[in-house]
Amino acid sequence: MTSVDATIGQRRDKRKASASSHLPDAHKAAENVVEKVNVTALVLQTTASLLWIPQAGLLSISVGTIAAGAGFHAALWPALGIFLLGALRAIADGAGARLAFRDARSRLSGMREKAVETAASASPLDTGRAASGLVASTLAEQAEAVVPYVAKFRPARFKAMIVPLVILACVFALSWTAALILLVAAPLIPIFMALVGWRAKEASERQLAEMGDMNAFLLDRLRGLATIRSFGAVDGTATRLRRNAEDLRRRTMAVLRIAFLSSAVLELFSALGVAMVAVYVGFHLLGELDFGAWGGKLSLAQGLFILLLSPAFFEPLRELSAVWHDRASGKAALEALQKLAAPGRPLPDALSAAPLAQAETPALSVTVEDLRFRFDEEAPLVFDAFSLDVKPGERIALLAPSGGGKSTLLALLAGLAKADAGTIRIGGEPMQERTAAKLRSQMAWVSQEPHLFAGTLLSNITLGRPLEAATVEKAIAAARLAPLAAARGNIPIGENGLGLSGGEALRLALARAAASPGAGLILADEPTAHLDSTTASGITQTLLDISVGRTLIVATHDPELASRMDRVIVLGQPVIQRSRP
Amino acid sequence: MIRDKNLRAVASLFLAGNRRHLAAGMALSLSTVLAGMALLGLSGWFITATAIAGLSLGTALAFDVFAPSAGIRFLALARTAARYGERIATHDATLAILAELRERLFRGWAEARAARALIARPARLLFRLTVDIDALDTLYLRVMVPLLSAMGAALAAAIALGFLSPLLGLATGLFLLTAGLGVPVLAARMARKPARRRAHALEALRARSIDLVRGQTELVMANRAGAQRAAILAADKRLAEADDDLNRIEAGSGVALGIAGSALLAAVLLASAQLAQAGAIGAPAAAFALLIGLTAIEPFTALRRGAVEIGRAMLAVRRIGPRLRVQERETPAAGQSCDGSIRLAHVSALHTGCDHPALYDLSLNIAPGERVALIGDSGAGKSSLLALLAGELMLTGGNIEASPATLLTQRTELFRDTLGGNLRLAAPAATDADLRLALEAAGLAEFVDTLPLGLNTLLGEGGAGLSAGQARRLALARLLLRGSPVWLFDEPTEGLDGKTARDVIARVFARAGHRTLIVATHIRREAEGADRILLMECGRVIRDARRGSAEYQDLLVGLRPD
Repeated sequence: MTSVDATIGQRRDKRKASASSHLPDAHKAAENVVEKVNVTALVLQTTASLLWIPQAGLLSISVGTIAAGAGFHAALWPALGIFLLGALRAIADGAGARLAFRDARSRLSGMREKAVETAASASPLDTGRAASGLVASTLAEQAEAVVPYVAKFRPARFKAMIVPLVILACVFALSWTAALILLVAAPLIPIFMALVGWRAKEASERQLAEMGDMNAFLLDRLRGLATIRSFGAVDGTATRLRRNAEDLRRRTMAVLRIAFLSSAVLELFSALGVAMVAVYVGFHLLGELDFGAWGGKLSLAQGLFILLLSPAFFEPLRELSAVWHDRASGKAALEALQKLAAPGRPLPDALSAAPLAQAETPALSVTVEDLRFRFDEEAPLVFDAFSLDVKPGERIALLAPSGGGKSTLLALLAGLAKADAGTIRIGGEPMQERTAAKLRSQMAWVSQEPHLFAGTLLSNITLGRPLEAATVEKAIAAARLAPLAAARGNIPIGENGLGLSGGEALRLALARAAASPGAGLILADEPTAHLDSTTASGITQTLLDISVGRTLIVATHDPELASRMDRVIVLGQPVIQRSRP
Repeated sequence: MIRDKNLRAVASLFLAGNRRHLAAGMALSLSTVLAGMALLGLSGWFITATAIAGLSLGTALAFDVFAPSAGIRFLALARTAARYGERIATHDATLAILAELRERLFRGWAEARAARALIARPARLLFRLTVDIDALDTLYLRVMVPLLSAMGAALAAAIALGFLSPLLGLATGLFLLTAGLGVPVLAARMARKPARRRAHALEALRARSIDLVRGQTELVMANRAGAQRAAILAADKRLAEADDDLNRIEAGSGVALGIAGSALLAAVLLASAQLAQAGAIGAPAAAFALLIGLTAIEPFTALRRGAVEIGRAMLAVRRIGPRLRVQERETPAAGQSCDGSIRLAHVSALHTGCDHPALYDLSLNIAPGERVALIGDSGAGKSSLLALLAGELMLTGGNIEASPATLLTQRTELFRDTLGGNLRLAAPAATDADLRLALEAAGLAEFVDTLPLGLNTLLGEGGAGLSAGQARRLALARLLLRGSPVWLFDEPTEGLDGKTARDVIARVFARAGHRTLIVATHIRREAEGADRILLMECGRVIRDARRGSAEYQDLLVGLRPD
């Protein structure tokens, strides 16, 4: 966390309130994504299900002809038809599923893009900015739940609306009794599921969420492994982990035993529905139940046709109930993505592709006039009518207690947020939306706890900038990073790799700054905090070395660092101390 | 070979004490499938038979309707019951596996070498661990269970049709096994690479998102935020491509199985027409055969999802397997003494993954009860020396004779547990009164008294809910409960305000008694109480000053004031 972030950390409680106000919007937007699924996919998948009707017809007619004594040859054409219809059915279903998938997947990419865009261009001074862990887990794992939900839910719902009705109509045309059996069984399913299931299901979802928590429990213990080992508590912790998991298993199973009843109801009614249709048709054909076929008597083929259609009548309901499971996580993922994509305080010109200033820039002057800034409307002013004048090549220390606005001022000078009023001029040019990226390219930034990017040490210095090898080498030498670069230059560091010590990380940040030949202004945010005195004085010296011929502004607590500057400015603002939530 | 070992490790995990559940889940799943097949087959036979019998009044009266109709009702109920039982049994088995898995993984990671690797790069390893655990579910739920029920269904179909005609039964069985298993196996092979690409792309997407947010200022200042956004979107594009490959394979195998099913159905129709023509079977048997042929392929379609997911699961097996295998015996590196004395002679030690030694030819004697401050620049070897004494670092040369030591790590490590539970980590048998005494000594008792739940107050992950100072005091109280003769501290008051820090240090020294105390530090307040200051550089002690000497004052003054 940079200190800019640290300042904001204290104000994070506010964002929860504002985040929840986005909720209804996010909810609606999530619904919209589902409703916009490709119509062709719906039609294809529904058609596939409906193709079973002619296939079943051919099957029953064939059995009828076999019963009538017709031979092998009479079955040839129906067999071919059954095969072709079946193949067509498989292809239509596969094609529909593919279309729906691709559609859902491209939507996910679009939503990820929007969320990334917002995350990249939200000012670090935005109090509502989402934390990195949340952004990463929402963008990566949680977002994955979007695809199955969006790709399957609407097709399944559409099928559940159309297919049973069409089948019912077919059955009704032949036998109103069979249709009535199906008609009675079907609505009973949701009713009984509601009676037995919904609440139990909610409980089971909670329980399963708790099961997911077991992962968190394991990770929590693994993170403190050094302590657990030191206390010789490995065995005890492992046993405890096991006992918790077993406890949870017992409780979860108790809930699931009830929750699964709801799907058992679905199974029961569809199985009983099929069985009753079969028994009714059988008795009807025997002549024992001679009602229900519009006054006539069903033929064998008609009876079989009804039997074959009955399971297909329930199938879409079963599918919908299976997809229902994806719904909760899918909706949550959609809403989380929408929330990430909601814009906050902008970082001016954040994503500009303005070319880097490559040529050496002379030392820049910095002027601030009547600056006013506050974090949000209810927060007190951090700066009010603040002015500052720094000559080219001057070295300035900004002193203030924590929360006094040092880091905020640095961020405003760097154009990381828009001031509420007043002007900031860098080298005479005003800091504005369209000049921000260009002005930033003439500055270098040194933060107190530099972020280590996933990559090598070298890539952490260049940050992907098109730098010449000689520039990088000079920067490494200037930051006195050469021994480390020689030993570990190509070993992964950062999120996926090893860490660096505080001093090494600071030297890395200095090398990053030194590798900006176009920087005429260096902004350093408490570069010696968290360092031991030997390391701190080394860093101070290096910072002075690389800022030769440049303007240097340092926010600091460190009296020794401050004493090495040309001028010390004590920020006279009212101190805003807020306790962490 | 290695993969085999890992797979065996995972298999043994699945089977440990779980055979009954696993078998019950699979047997019930098979019963569900068979009952479903029998229900349709019997119904088809029944309708056809009644239709034929119903043609004349005489046969209609003679027809036994009750046995088959009772059979149909029984199968409908049996299918429901089996399905319910299957879901219960498979979930119970999965939960049991997860419980076992967590315990074993914890033990596996807690073993010395793994623990060091984990502490060195926690973010990636812990993240991988969670996704790998989730991926293992696939093996039982989506591969083993459907595989068994599909094979069982194929066998049942072959036997049922074999009664009508042995040749038809044999051909059906062979076709089901070839097509029904062949398609998923082929799909699994094709999906192996995309499944891995997918796992890696997801990891990249995650790491790059973290970099974007946490390194945003650095990126924006270097004009690289746009490039980082592009890098994240590139990871998503790779992810989308892998997703698409997997979906194509899954959909493709669905189509293939659908076509195979239709071919089977058409073939059974032709075969039964032929058999009926030859007088070998009647129309009811033909209907029965058709309905069996219709339902037999369906269980194989359930294998599709497992087929595309097994690649990911095998990656998890490869990563998790080594941690599940029998662990190395931990040999204490130190000769043991119990009086709190420490003797190191020409000790060298290496961190894994580093080629320069962390400690080099270090010789040192510390008397029982001595209080030592360990100072030096970052990287001088202070933490390595503490790790060595705590048994976390292996010797590569020299001799060590040390008493058991307990380390208070630099980062306060608390756990999601009650306050009391956090304390009892150090002393499982401690009474509430013991805990209270420790809390009092650490200066936290008053705070705990203000909590409505007191010692039973639940802390969040990593001890969330306490301020930094309170967390540090709690960690200190935990240490105080530990009776070991040597206490090691790594920058015990880093990040605390001066007043709290001094109070914490004073309490440590007050409670230490006869114990040996070693404090690694770069802050003056932490070293002030020491009898002896050791200055380290490049893995060795280069200066050794006792209280009262000019050198001691010198070293003390060189440290950072608050």
